[in-house]
Amino acid sequence: MTETSRMTETGAAAAEAGQQAAAPPEPTPPPPGPAYGVLGWLRWGWRQLTSMRTALILLFLLAVASVPGSLLPQQGIDPAAVQQYYASHPGLAPWLARLSLFNVFAAPWFAAIYLLLFLSLAGCVVPRAYRLARSARALPPPAPRNVARMPQSVRHQTGQDAAAALAAATAVLRRRKFRLRTGDGWVSAEKGYRRELGNLLFHLALLGLLGAVALGGLFGYKANRLLVSGTSFANTVTALDEFHPGRLVSSADLQPFTITLNRFAASYVRSGQLRGQPTSFNAYLSYSAQPGAANQRYDLRVNHPLNVDGVKVYLIGHGYAPVFKVTDGTGKVVYDQPVPFIAVNTSGLTSEGVVKVPDAKPDQLGFAGVFLPTAVDTGGTLESVFPAPLNPRVSLISYKGNLGMNSGPSQSVYALNTAGLTELPVAPRPLAPGQSIKLPGGAGTLTFTGYRQWASLAITYDPGQLPALIAGLAALAGLLLSFFIRRRRMFVRAYPGPGDRTVVDVGGLARSDPAGGFDEEFSRLAEEFRVAYAGETSEGKTD
Amino acid sequence: MSRPPHATSRVTRPGRAVWLGLLATASALAVSGCAGGAIAASTPASNGQSFVSGSPGTTLYQAGHGPAVPAVSGPLVGGGRLSLAADRGHVVVLNFWGSWCTPCREEAPSLAQLARQYGGSGVRFLGIDIRDSPASAEAFMSDFRISYPSLNDPSDNLALDFRDTVPPAGIPTTLVISRSGRIAARVIGSVTYDGLKSLIQRAVAEPG
Repeated sequence: MTETSRMTETGAAAAEAGQQAAAPPEPTPPPPGPAYGVLGWLRWGWRQLTSMRTALILLFLLAVASVPGSLLPQQGIDPAAVQQYYASHPGLAPWLARLSLFNVFAAPWFAAIYLLLFLSLAGCVVPRAYRLARSARALPPPAPRNVARMPQSVRHQTGQDAAAALAAATAVLRRRKFRLRTGDGWVSAEKGYRRELGNLLFHLALLGLLGAVALGGLFGYKANRLLVSGTSFANTVTALDEFHPGRLVSSADLQPFTITLNRFAASYVRSGQLRGQPTSFNAYLSYSAQPGAANQRYDLRVNHPLNVDGVKVYLIGHGYAPVFKVTDGTGKVVYDQPVPFIAVNTSGLTSEGVVKVPDAKPDQLGFAGVFLPTAVDTGGTLESVFPAPLNPRVSLISYKGNLGMNSGPSQSVYALNTAGLTELPVAPRPLAPGQSIKLPGGAGTLTFTGYRQWASLAITYDPGQLPALIAGLAALAGLLLSFFIRRRRMFVRAYPGPGDRTVVDVGGLARSDPAGGFDEEFSRLAEEFRVAYAGETSEGKTD
Repeated sequence: MSRPPHATSRVTRPGRAVWLGLLATASALAVSGCAGGAIAASTPASNGQSFVSGSPGTTLYQAGHGPAVPAVSGPLVGGGRLSLAADRGHVVVLNFWGSWCTPCREEAPSLAQLARQYGGSGVRFLGIDIRDSPASAEAFMSDFRISYPSLNDPSDNLALDFRDTVPPAGIPTTLVISRSGRIAARVIGSVTYDGLKSLIQRAVAEPG
């Protein structure tokens, strides 16, 4: 690996800083061959790890390693699918499990990749930050012997002696807030150290960003919950539909708030070309931050999350939950609850869902249904033409038999496993609220008693979010500082010239952007010097 | 032999590490700070399963060292009220369940049978019914001939009461509580007849 491919240049600002630092002051590479020794190999390994190439490879690996997570069912996301995979691939599945391919994001090899990437980035940024900190404190170098060879230079002659001329120039530079270094017959001065501070800030902010992301990944979590209006839930694992905890989150760490959905309201454009387009969604919540705390109200809207105890709750979806009441063959009410249906199209919010009645006697009952908010008969088939519930209808297919719920893999609440079921011969008549289906053979009765609306909520806790924002802003500020501030040096050398005159050579060097407007500043400063020691220009040049 | 508490309840690791990837390429701007922008859709983001099932496993606590059980009381499925403190001095089997949950239905016959067997010897059984409607819960209890009472917990307050001790990390979760009111064992996932029986015997054999 060559020196040039080392990750010494992160970002434009750093690149420019690298340019002025000439060669990176790294230890020279150890000699090749067997003379490396343990320390040499360690150093070599560290260098490989913190190189740009390695970071890019690790980044690529991270992307590749995530792929199996989307191709294979994942334990945390869909355990039922994993069990099904085991059933259909009995030979392969245990091997995939051994390689953690059913739990990719918790796999040791996945952790290895991102830990190495983290280390690689930190290993690059920390030494750079250290170097930049030193550079920001450094004194300007001594004036070169031949100041006239600087890119900008001018030669003055003055009647004052060398010491007086230098003192005059120094006073000007001091007034202009240059950092000074003086020697025998010369002054060198430098300005624009804030560029290095900006650079340093940028690098430290990058580290801060890494830390913030780690914080979020370790202590944050994401969860979802579908909530039917009129019901409540508490932020505890059993009450969540999905739960994706960070590495160090245990179920006891969840903020113990309770949320009730009092009412959900959606409004739609009623006429014109945009008919049916939603205009607003409002989930009217009441919540308490912890058991016993006062109840507060909140109107949850899209992109207007509720912030409770540092946790953000977003409104991410909505739909209808028709309410069904099922009386079984023995005359007992065995089911009476709203059932969330999922929209399959957005224009009319035609929604599908299933009703499972596992404790019906004599047989378990199952229903697969469609809810139509505004049902219209379009030539024999019912369609929903508007998303608001103007003419709600439910159409169901009825089954009896074995739902497969008394053993085996967990089921989706949105799907009916019809393998053990037989369809009942029921006339396909859509139900209006209040209407019933009497099932044949004394299997029972189902009543569509009404409907409610539901809202789905995304619950996200990311303690790294604010630190990440601050670090991001700091990185931006640092970058701007290092973009807009130039480091520039002035050198003044005074020595006796022809006659009684003193020759003053003034040189200037703009580091890091030779194309910038330094020549103007140089001319202005040189002019101030000349006036200060009452000299005249003998020769000069500017690039 | 005893595993540390909470060692069993890992569900998923998010692809948070992908953020690291963004970072590496982010030589300039930080695109942080605004995760979770929401868009209303008419479909829910859902795994289709609609509940969190914990990784199966049993956690045992040494006698007298388990977390103390919080005071739990509430309305019962089918009417009436009950308080867990009324069972102090007895070994209690506390089962979090729902009629809609397949592993709960799978373990229900074992629980019903053990409750009948141990009913005479002072071991109490109590259920906490999660995310259920009263009609379904009652149908479940009569279907599986469950004789012990269950508390109704429609807004998860009871589950929340356990957050500082041993929170149920998915459904079903079963806690075996010693006579001194401390948790002796926790089982996440379906219990088996033999498995739960040995946990009950262990708690019964505990002094005090």
